[in-house]
Amino acid sequence: MSEWPGQLLVSVLALPVTGAALCLPLHRISDRVATAWTLLVTTVTCAGAFMVSVRVSHVGPFSHHLGGWLAPWGIELRADQFGALVGLAAPVFALVVFYGVRYSRHAVEAARRGPYDALLLINLGGLLGFSFTGDLFNLFVFMELFSLSAYALVAYGKQKVAAAASFRYLVMGAFSSLLVLFSIGLLYQLTGTLNMADMAYRLADGVPHRPVVLAFGALALGFMTKAAVFPLHLWLPDAHAAAPSPVSAILSGLVVKMGIVGLIRTYDIFQGAGGVDLPTFNMGLSTLGAIAIVFGAVLALIQDDIKLMLAYSTVSNIGYIAVGLGLFNESGLTGASIHIFNHAVIKAALFLALGALTFRTGYRTVSDLRGIGRRMPITVGALSVAVISVVGVPPTAGFVTKWYLAVGAVAAARPLLAATLVFSALVMLIYYLRIVNAFYFRPAVHEEVERAVDPPLDMLAPVVLLSGASLALGLIAQVPIGIALPGVMRLLGGG
Amino acid sequence: MPVEVWDIRPALAPMVSFVCALLVFIGGSRAGWRRFWSMSAALLKFIIVASMLPGTVGGVAYTFRFAEFAPGIGIGFRADALGMAFATVSSLLWVVATVYSIGYMKGERSLGRFFGFFALCVSATVALALAENLLTLFIFYEVLTISAYPLVVHDETPEALRAGRTYFTYTLTGGGVILLGIAMTYVVSDGVLAFGHNGIVPPDTTPAVLAILFVMLTLGFGVKAAIMPLHGWLPRAMVAPTPVSALLHAVAVVKAGAFGVVRTVHDVFGVELLRQTWLPDALAYLAAFTIIAASVMALLQDNLKRRLAYSTVSQLSYVLLGIALLNPWAAVAAVVHIANQAVQKVTMFFAAGAIQRTTGKTNISEMSGIGRRMPATMGAFGVAALGFTGMPLLAGFISKWHMSVGGFDSGMWWVALVMAASALLNAAYWFPMLYLAFFKPVSEEPTLGEARPSLLYPTLVCAVLVILLGLVSDLPGMPLSIARTAVAQAFGM
Amino acid sequence: MTMLLDRADYVLAIILFLIGLYALVAKSNLIKKIIGLNIMETAVFIFIITGGLARDGSPPLVTQDTTSPYHDPVSQTIVLVGIVVAVSVTALALSLVTRIHAEHGTIEADELRGGR
Repeated sequence: MSEWPGQLLVSVLALPVTGAALCLPLHRISDRVATAWTLLVTTVTCAGAFMVSVRVSHVGPFSHHLGGWLAPWGIELRADQFGALVGLAAPVFALVVFYGVRYSRHAVEAARRGPYDALLLINLGGLLGFSFTGDLFNLFVFMELFSLSAYALVAYGKQKVAAAASFRYLVMGAFSSLLVLFSIGLLYQLTGTLNMADMAYRLADGVPHRPVVLAFGALALGFMTKAAVFPLHLWLPDAHAAAPSPVSAILSGLVVKMGIVGLIRTYDIFQGAGGVDLPTFNMGLSTLGAIAIVFGAVLALIQDDIKLMLAYSTVSNIGYIAVGLGLFNESGLTGASIHIFNHAVIKAALFLALGALTFRTGYRTVSDLRGIGRRMPITVGALSVAVISVVGVPPTAGFVTKWYLAVGAVAAARPLLAATLVFSALVMLIYYLRIVNAFYFRPAVHEEVERAVDPPLDMLAPVVLLSGASLALGLIAQVPIGIALPGVMRLLGGG
Repeated sequence: MPVEVWDIRPALAPMVSFVCALLVFIGGSRAGWRRFWSMSAALLKFIIVASMLPGTVGGVAYTFRFAEFAPGIGIGFRADALGMAFATVSSLLWVVATVYSIGYMKGERSLGRFFGFFALCVSATVALALAENLLTLFIFYEVLTISAYPLVVHDETPEALRAGRTYFTYTLTGGGVILLGIAMTYVVSDGVLAFGHNGIVPPDTTPAVLAILFVMLTLGFGVKAAIMPLHGWLPRAMVAPTPVSALLHAVAVVKAGAFGVVRTVHDVFGVELLRQTWLPDALAYLAAFTIIAASVMALLQDNLKRRLAYSTVSQLSYVLLGIALLNPWAAVAAVVHIANQAVQKVTMFFAAGAIQRTTGKTNISEMSGIGRRMPATMGAFGVAALGFTGMPLLAGFISKWHMSVGGFDSGMWWVALVMAASALLNAAYWFPMLYLAFFKPVSEEPTLGEARPSLLYPTLVCAVLVILLGLVSDLPGMPLSIARTAVAQAFGM
Repeated sequence: MTMLLDRADYVLAIILFLIGLYALVAKSNLIKKIIGLNIMETAVFIFIITGGLARDGSPPLVTQDTTSPYHDPVSQTIVLVGIVVAVSVTALALSLVTRIHAEHGTIEADELRGGR
């Protein structure tokens, strides 16, 4: 029996967290060494996470039992299909960190750069741990890792609003964590286990209904807050807009997705549980999702600050995922799961491209950045491609999602929902046109814009790669779909 | 049934202009580079498409599937007769239009962008023509929508930007409706989207679902085919530079819509299934209405390009009418009109552009005596105009003749009346202009002569094509013969 | 009624939770919000701990001559970790409040919103 996949899983989780501890002392010694160390750890970790995903796609889910204690007694690390989708997105994280080296020199003062790097690594460890665990309490611990580091990273924003935004994010986040913790405690009392698979097995087997419903409600509500599903999104726009651009990319691309992964875990646990009315919950979730799509789109329309626009677009995109989950049929769930990955790529491309514009000019609103298209052709070109992708125009990654969700909605005989999916994106596109028009077809109003040029290669390459990926993933969509599909079948088969 | 042969050429053809677009984007600021790649890609692509023609005539459908877009849904290409009819026309006209644009756009700015997106548009057009399934068609249909936008707004004036927004609003809404329609088809057909001559939609579909599907798909594609009342974007999009109007708004974009309707009727529903419903009749009436109403609108326009635009709206509905009659004769008319209208309309646009570039005139009322000054250009224009009135021996006659026969054949005598009325209206709005151009005195001293060669020769080539398509259109490999093959396949003959 | 008395610990936890929630939502002062959050956290801890207690149990230190029932160690572990997390969240929140105070000169949420 080969043990290496299990060891790989352990190192993927342990490396970034221990690596983070070294960041601070290394930063004392030299900024360069600390940066190199951060890059090294991130690259190795992300490569490892990617390999985990590749293995899942080849041989299916696998587990590692820490210390040799078998589940349900020991802690089980488990890489399943949905975790693998996050692992697949790990290279996005690496690219963001790579991009962030130069950006943070410019955006973060020297003394705070050590903790900044450490927080990034902790965040990475939290994200991956959350995705690759089979133990509910473990899940909570990793959730706190990425949540706490995310609150702190938001506060690195330079604007005055950053601290307040971070505080609001923290309060909502802590409240949702509390709900999750409460649910974990309750579930443990009900079933006597913390292993998720074991828990699902025991819940299916005659446990008093009312507490189970309470546990389900708390868990679902907690994860919906983390995922910023409408109307629990209030913390998101300011936090994502106030953070430095690389952090925004990670928050919008990956951290909110953890709430979605959490919801999928919730489905896993409560699939057979008596008393939990999943169809009603799903109906509600998809309706909320549809409202989120429209609401996010409309609010994005009225923003002049492009970062806020992107943040509201995240609310809208989470709405897409919520709709897909709520549909709970093959197409809907597939669309939702691959959008976990697709949206990570697309939104990271958008935030990084915008960050490059801000890096060169100091501006971030549509009206200030007029005429930038001629000065920074590659960056703005990449931004345009990502914009086309985020609103789901073929042949981009966003279209694949939209296609699956539309098919799912039609298959579930909910034409209104299908129409909402398709047309709200069009509203967005026609509006995004305003950006493209301003960037390409309007004269510049600021001297800084006139003087701007494309950023250096180390910032440009991640932007171009991510934007290229958001285009290419429309054509090679079978990669994420191939990973997601068995997981989707598992969810459906058990229900 | 055509024999399927695995061959890379159907995918290679769109790829050529895609690569060309990339190269032009990269090095487009240098005129020589731009010109070299645009021309060689145009020629290479035409050669590739033309090399597949013998196979098409011989009953072979070259097929190529590459990426599985998702399990079960591949991006696939298949050069069947219908697709080849459209692909041949667009790739041939691209060669001509490239020569013309190089001449026309000389000295304009942002030419790298212009030629890049120009190539991208043609790439998308050929790809959707050769698409093997509904989703592939839709993907490239939308690529076409997006890549035409920078061309529409090329002048960057507020008017152009407004026109661009109108264009996007119309076409993307149409695209959304199509997407919903395709999703519904996918669910109804249980995961099948590949075109087949028996249709994709299963025969036991309920009439209500059938009606919804048909309305969504035809009206969705109908937006680009500018069927009234969904035509509002087309006249406004005429702010674009003339080669764009010519190639895109007379050939690629609008024809993509008309082509989509043809595919929908023949290969998504299938003739047999639709015969049992009232749906095609409704489409036929709408198309007939558009033919007449748009012609009347055209009469009212003084701006030459706008008149051409309304004439396009009218002519596109020929295709829709022909296809909606579900009669082999009329269907031949529809398919062959894709080619005929394209060639005739491109000729006229080229002439209009040549006049505009040479004399600066855009309104018909100012063109008094222009025919004496630019006899070759206006002569080409006149040939195409005569074609539209249905003059025998010219391309337009072939369409009108088949259409009328098809109308009688299927017991719809009013079709012939519509054809006659349309011919009269065409005469009513082109002949006075020709009279003005050739027989009225020159309004001012002719300081300039003919248009420069790079504008004149493409126009003349197109005029010659108009005549050829009227004379020898049923030679193997020419539009009429391809159309017959396509229709024979669709009707199972 | 007897059920309520039986579950007095749960009732207490619920009351505490609601007090904390009230402070979190209704109080404008950011420090009070943090205190509210802490009260809620305590409520959840009490809920988990009491759920894991055994009647007449001893601490979960198992030696060779342990015979009596012992309290559930896992519940206590959960709460221990929970406390660690809660302390970190509080620390971070407090440091954010000092920064907000330095930048805006106030720690009242309604004034912050108005002055933005």
